[in-house]
Amino acid sequence: MFSAAVQSSVRAARLENASCAAVGKNRAGISLANVAKDNLTYEDLLRIVELVKSSPQFSEFRLKVGEIELHLKRKREVASAPAVVAPPEGNEPAEVPAQPRRKDVAESWPAHWLVVRSPMVGTFYRAPAPGAAPFVEIGRAVEADATVCIIEVMKLMNSIPAGARGVVREILAEDAQAVEYGQPLVVLEPQ
Amino acid sequence: MSKRNLPHSSADTVANATRKRFDFVDVTLRDAHQCLWSTRMTTAMMTPILPAIDRAGYAYVNILGGAVFDVCVRYLHENPYQRVGLLCERLGTPCDALTRGQSLYTFELFPDDIVALNAAALARRGVAVLTVYDALNDNRNIESSVRAGKAAGMKISAWMTYTLSPVHTDAYYVERTRELVALAPDSICIKDPTGLLTPQRGRTLFPAVVQAAAGIPVQLHSHCQSGLAPEVYGVAIESGFGFGYTASAPLANGASLPATEDIGARARALGCEIALDADALAEVAGYFSWVCEREGKPRGRVARYDPALYEHQIPGGMISNLRYQLETMGIADRMPEILEEAARVRCDLGFPIVVSPFAQYIVTQATLNVVQGERYKTIPDEIRKYACGYYGKLAAQPSAEFLERANIRPEEYVTEAPAAHIEPWIPRLRADLGAGATDEDILLAAFYDRKLIAELQDPTPGCAFRTTPLAELIAFFAKRSDIEYARVRFAGTEMTFSS
Repeated sequence: MFSAAVQSSVRAARLENASCAAVGKNRAGISLANVAKDNLTYEDLLRIVELVKSSPQFSEFRLKVGEIELHLKRKREVASAPAVVAPPEGNEPAEVPAQPRRKDVAESWPAHWLVVRSPMVGTFYRAPAPGAAPFVEIGRAVEADATVCIIEVMKLMNSIPAGARGVVREILAEDAQAVEYGQPLVVLEPQ
Repeated sequence: MSKRNLPHSSADTVANATRKRFDFVDVTLRDAHQCLWSTRMTTAMMTPILPAIDRAGYAYVNILGGAVFDVCVRYLHENPYQRVGLLCERLGTPCDALTRGQSLYTFELFPDDIVALNAAALARRGVAVLTVYDALNDNRNIESSVRAGKAAGMKISAWMTYTLSPVHTDAYYVERTRELVALAPDSICIKDPTGLLTPQRGRTLFPAVVQAAAGIPVQLHSHCQSGLAPEVYGVAIESGFGFGYTASAPLANGASLPATEDIGARARALGCEIALDADALAEVAGYFSWVCEREGKPRGRVARYDPALYEHQIPGGMISNLRYQLETMGIADRMPEILEEAARVRCDLGFPIVVSPFAQYIVTQATLNVVQGERYKTIPDEIRKYACGYYGKLAAQPSAEFLERANIRPEEYVTEAPAAHIEPWIPRLRADLGAGATDEDILLAAFYDRKLIAELQDPTPGCAFRTTPLAELIAFFAKRSDIEYARVRFAGTEMTFSS
């Protein structure tokens, strides 16, 4: 079916050229210019297309208005372009696999350790640029204003500071991972 | 106004009125589809109608802007320089290309050597007018473009961006106009990206700008979100503006600019001489009306006056984008709160103009403030840089509350011209790309990564350079896979095709 459609479009393109040539010849010839004038307007075209589109239940379409005559036949077996009906989008994202909940690490650190959390729904980055060295590694000591990661929110980059002087004990998100509001990102042992 | 003018001055007025001329710049191929079709008009959609656009009587045709360049590369995979070359070659009307000054087509700052190379590349492709603006109205950011554009032999159209705020007064715009006059452009334009101008404001602002422009023609480029733009264009014409930017009717109005046909009628009614050709305009409008149908793209609709626009000033496209993002975060219900906060954030940030990229800054900061339940707990890096003056001068000082939370150290403030600290890029890019690289290769490599550039194609092979409604009709049937037989008879020609 696909190849048939391509074929017909190729044929039409040839015919289109033929018609242009005919018009040109007529214009160059005797006084047929006015008769051969292509005065089908874009408005006519829009009306015709509207008519064709609004009558999908018929397999044959004939139209004669003024100088134009149209005769179309639709394929029987394919009534119209098969409309792929998208599955209705419910409120629950039924088939989207949820991020594996890392229960094993969740909140299992001593109470006085500090948790740096995501300020927003966004994307977590460990390094200032692709391929660059990460801001921090586990075991590294950081100052309070040191950047520990970047969270991209609505295309803007947010450098997230450690918030306290300490040693990095856990990094809980993967580079370029989507993170939730309030999700723990980095755990520090204050010094 | 007094009707008893002195005979001398009233004779002058009449003489001026009879000489008054108003010209048009077409935006159908650039801003119109940027606003209504997310910039998705391909070169192939443009080329069949170029002969009619040429006959329409436009002074210039705007063919390029930041979003067009970017969408060409990222989504249409068309080489934007090849599009520019093709359009310039096919149009007899001079073509106009718009850049964001030092940021060119993006929101980053580029060094002067890249700015100059781009101007030369556009001129070589046939661009006659280089239009430049800076989103902060910091005219230091357009100096290098003006210089390079002139050196490449192009005319210069210098823009300033209109917004509403306590600091964006008529006096502010007179001052900006004087800065632009000092750069000696060929025209000066007031760009109103969100359609905030009103006829009342125009009556004070426009004459003041015309006077400050000191004989340089003034242009208006205003969008129709508030529904007031056609009236505002009328005031501009009365105030002595020389040019208006407009679009073909099906791609005019709404978030786009006013229709050429409408503003033409207004200009004529106001006694202006205009060069528009009604038949050619009708053909262009008919064609694009058909393309809207064929491609399933929206037509522009006249917007109703909406006072809410004047409060948050967030452009319509940005609001629908924000709603979508909030939905994905599951906080769509907080939209009204976020819009309200956006108005406060804009004030705190010193009234940036609500255009890209600052519209994004405001909306993102407002969202962070609302979601975190604490203002400025997190401040995006770009906003801190903006507040430091990295991108240019701020219209007003940020609020004390913001500055306290941003905690900017004194040495972080930038007072020199934004590009002054950027080293030339061309030597490095030339070394990377090798001796065979053209100027355009170097420019594309400065803007995009290699993978995107590798996918770019010359749009020319897919382009037709003439069409008629009949040809479009036949092509339409030929493409429909549900039609197996079609016979078309028209004016002595008959054709049949079947699959």
